[in-house]
Amino acid sequence: MPADVGLAYVVVTHLGPGHTSMLPEIIDRQTAMPVAHLRDDDEVAANRVYVLPPDTTVTTENGRLRLHRTSAAQREYNPIDIFFASLAEDRGERAVGIVLSGSGRDGTLGIKMIKEHGGLTIAQGSDGSHPRYPSMPESAIASGLVDLVVPVEHIPAKLANFARNLDDLAEILSESDRQAERVTTARLTVCQILRNETGHDFSGYKPATVLRRIHRRMEVLQLDTIESYIERLRRDRDEVVRLFQDVLIGVTRFFRDQQAFEALQRIIPRLFEGRSADEPVRVWVAGCSTGEEAYTIALLLREHMETLRVAPRVQIFATDIDESALEIARSGRYPAPLLRDLSPERLARFFIKDGESYVTTKALRELCAFSAHSIIRDPPFSRIDLISCRNLLIYLGPELQKRVLPLFHYALRPGGFLFLGTSETVSQHADLFAPVDKAQRVFQKREYARMRVPFTVPTNVPRRVSAAGGTTVAPQAGGPPLRAAVEARVLERFAPAHVLVNREGEVVHYSAGTGKYLEPAAGAPSRQIFAAARRGLRSELRSALNESVQTRQRTVRDNVVVEVDDRSQPLQLVVEPFESAGGDALFLMLFIDRGPPLSPDETAAARRSSDGNRTVEQLERELSETRDRLQSTIEAYETSLEELKSSQEEMVSMNEELQSTNEEMETSKEELQSINEELQTVNSELNLKVDALDRANNDLKNLFESTQIATVFLDNELVIRSFTPAMTAIFKLIPGDKGRPLTDIAANIDYPELRQDIQAVFDTHQPVERRCQSQDGTIHYLARLLPYRGAEGALDGVIVTFIDVTKVVRGEEFKTLAEELNHRVRNMLTVVVGLARLTLTDTPDPRAGTKIFVSRLHAMARAYNLLSKKDWGEVELHDVVDVELSPYADAERPRVMIEGPTIRLTPKAALAVNLVVHELVTNAAKYGALSQVGGDVHVAWSVTDESGSKRVVLDWRERNGAPVVAPKRKGFGTQLIEQQVGHGLGGKVDMTYAPDGFRARLDFPLGPKTVVSKARDS
Amino acid sequence: MNLDDLVGRRVLVVEDDPLIAATQKMVLESAGCTVLGPDSGVGAALRTIGAHRIDLALLDVNLGDEAAFPVADALAARGVPFVFLTGYGSETLPSMHRNRPCLTKPCEDDDLLAALCDALRRKPQHRVEQRS
Repeated sequence: MPADVGLAYVVVTHLGPGHTSMLPEIIDRQTAMPVAHLRDDDEVAANRVYVLPPDTTVTTENGRLRLHRTSAAQREYNPIDIFFASLAEDRGERAVGIVLSGSGRDGTLGIKMIKEHGGLTIAQGSDGSHPRYPSMPESAIASGLVDLVVPVEHIPAKLANFARNLDDLAEILSESDRQAERVTTARLTVCQILRNETGHDFSGYKPATVLRRIHRRMEVLQLDTIESYIERLRRDRDEVVRLFQDVLIGVTRFFRDQQAFEALQRIIPRLFEGRSADEPVRVWVAGCSTGEEAYTIALLLREHMETLRVAPRVQIFATDIDESALEIARSGRYPAPLLRDLSPERLARFFIKDGESYVTTKALRELCAFSAHSIIRDPPFSRIDLISCRNLLIYLGPELQKRVLPLFHYALRPGGFLFLGTSETVSQHADLFAPVDKAQRVFQKREYARMRVPFTVPTNVPRRVSAAGGTTVAPQAGGPPLRAAVEARVLERFAPAHVLVNREGEVVHYSAGTGKYLEPAAGAPSRQIFAAARRGLRSELRSALNESVQTRQRTVRDNVVVEVDDRSQPLQLVVEPFESAGGDALFLMLFIDRGPPLSPDETAAARRSSDGNRTVEQLERELSETRDRLQSTIEAYETSLEELKSSQEEMVSMNEELQSTNEEMETSKEELQSINEELQTVNSELNLKVDALDRANNDLKNLFESTQIATVFLDNELVIRSFTPAMTAIFKLIPGDKGRPLTDIAANIDYPELRQDIQAVFDTHQPVERRCQSQDGTIHYLARLLPYRGAEGALDGVIVTFIDVTKVVRGEEFKTLAEELNHRVRNMLTVVVGLARLTLTDTPDPRAGTKIFVSRLHAMARAYNLLSKKDWGEVELHDVVDVELSPYADAERPRVMIEGPTIRLTPKAALAVNLVVHELVTNAAKYGALSQVGGDVHVAWSVTDESGSKRVVLDWRERNGAPVVAPKRKGFGTQLIEQQVGHGLGGKVDMTYAPDGFRARLDFPLGPKTVVSKARDS
Repeated sequence: MNLDDLVGRRVLVVEDDPLIAATQKMVLESAGCTVLGPDSGVGAALRTIGAHRIDLALLDVNLGDEAAFPVADALAARGVPFVFLTGYGSETLPSMHRNRPCLTKPCEDDDLLAALCDALRRKPQHRVEQRS
């Protein structure tokens, strides 16, 4: 490919979505031109190659490229059509469309557009190097709109030639003074040739239009001057046809020829007139090509149907011989420029935008049945209401036109309409069709005209030049006029009556005077001679004609008697083959009278006289009976013939329906195929997802089995979905318990609030945490209840986990214990320090002080001993008193008596009471009852309960001791007692130095929880 | 250290243990303070606060079954400086009293008096903080 041709190239390919194309690199290795993926808004520059990137389509607009993203969901099916269509509109005759190897039919519609706008169209030919996928170029070629079909290696040369000639065209069109006259002359010459050959006069067309087409043909033929082209036209009739087609090129766009379709729209209501719902309206679009015309008519019909209350079914048989064009029509997918003539309302109602294309809606699609059918070879449809055959007849030539129009006449039901292209006419068959709208070529079938319909037209039919149709042969004018007149007179006056029939017995010519033998049959006018024959003649006529047809010889029947009114006419019947110019076998029938007509009596007499013989009469009777039988047989035969005819018609229409069904099934098949492909894709995606799910499931399973965290998944009804093996230690779960409510399962855990907590998670959507223990209290758990979120984040259950926190709890307990111990030790040391200081301050003598201090320390130690025995729990008051008094308890003679109800004291109260009792004992031992033999101490206490607050009143009484002397000053011992009772216990103490013995009365409150039980003695 | 600041100060002592309370009373009185209390519980201490002008306070955090924090709150509200005394670590203090001076039992007399003195000096600063 030369790099300096001066053209820009855009390469559009069919790419799978998401497929990364290496095309630019591949092209780059083949050419010196710069190659790149095209970008949006690229200004097209000459001698560059632009490649369509994946997942996009491209259009062009004022010389700039527009890129359109497509998604995987909305794939563009015909990117080539879309680009060609926009290119044609943008560049006009400077556009070149090349269709290379590819599958499908993309590009065909685009080629049409380029051709219509005067551009050059090229398809990769199958010469030498076959295209690997020929269907795309073949479809384009079949449209008949491709200028050049050349092997791919010749395309560069053609393009270079095209680029060179672009400027010539401009020159020709400019019609500069020097050229003007020459060009105008040449144009008119071409128009003259066209008129002679085709009967169409283009001299009134815009000169530029005609010249463009001429130029395009010259280019294709590589002719340099217009004169040489005229020379070619004169020699080559095919070239005339090609030019004719090019000039006429009527690309069937939607609503192309607005006025024509408006005319059609006016007659549509007449199609539906008097039609019940079960009588379908049948329309035949002959030569439908890629379907635009069929869909346009469908659209108009649909619009009218929507105005009707009860609409009959509508069938549009759209036929063409080009199967690939039909494929495009069936798909109903058109690039936007093809729909430009459609109003936006119609576009929105009947088309669905899909990317840069539009797809017909089901409402249109279901009306149309597209099938391959040749109006020339195949039997026609029948009982059609409207035939639309636009711009097809012009391609057929006058000969075929003449055959096709009667065929249309046959196909139409009485009063049916024919809709032709603007440059077509029925003038040669004005007897068959009456104009409805002459300008827009709408015709109506003339009702009672009868034509013999050639179902199949032999291809070797000799060309007829005469304008008159039918089989009548124009009389050859020859010889002197007088002789002709004489012969005519003789024929008229003296020749026997005769008719000319064809092999089926249809009359093509009557002579004068046949009324004696023939009379019009009842019913619709018929040219059947057998129906018209008078009595006695019919069977003879039939057998004589059959004989002649078979033998191709003259057949003579004598003694034929025809009954005319009440008389009998004996006659001789002669049938002989008549070779007509048309080659169609015809037969001449002559009726030659033998004698005058006879009355019935004369007939009988004649019979008797001529042959009085009884045997003859017998024979005649038999003969007449036989004739009657023959007659009835013939009638039966005719009836079955009629039945066969109607069966045949039914078959034809059934065939049509089958065709349309078949066509629908084909469409369904296409749809199914694409659905199948999609399903396969979806399936493989699903397989991948299933694999991923399997993996995830396995991971989860392994996680569940390996985790030490007891977890159970519950749904909204607290039913177990799944659980981890660690859970079996907490709830007595077995694998079969999935699906049972968790509350049914026996638990090893003390967690009565589980149900409320789960409810709280449902209510608040917040996690809940709680400490709990196993039933035996040995294991501590942290229960954590988390909301289970479904796919949409909605609450779909609860996850309950139990984490064994026994070690943590034990650790915490140890820590608390250590802290408590720490605190107590510190407190005790502080107390000891205070005790030491206060004792030693009070007692100046160090030895005595030390003794008292140590004794007090021992008392404290005893109290602590008591407490430690009870694990720092509560200590009984009795024990506290007893531990200080016990050294003085004499087994022989009790000096000490302790009595009172059982009262448990807090450690603090116990310590305070212990210190008080110690001081009292010490004093008693030193100065009081315990200092003398015979003295005794009585300790008693009672509990009072005043309005809920319990108080203890402890009475210390000494007797028989040393004489009581009140101390001169309040010693530390007394202070200590007062402080302990007042400050430590919150009570009061009353000490009395009575003459019979020291007495102390302690009155202090008990904690509200203090347990008091009945009295016990010591 | 100048302990003269303490002379004549009215010091509230809140301590549940009678022996310790007596010891503290002795120490404070020897430093020239007037001791209010000693009170062994929250109720008694609050009554004392309501009835007397108080310059300083010494609070045992753990008062048997109850903690001394309501007393601390009442003192703080009146802008009375005070010193905590505890057998536990200071981490048991609520956040609003975390910055108060806190002595750990058993403590030397000098440390106790120094802490009280220090609290007295920080008093104005404290007031500003409380207003802000």
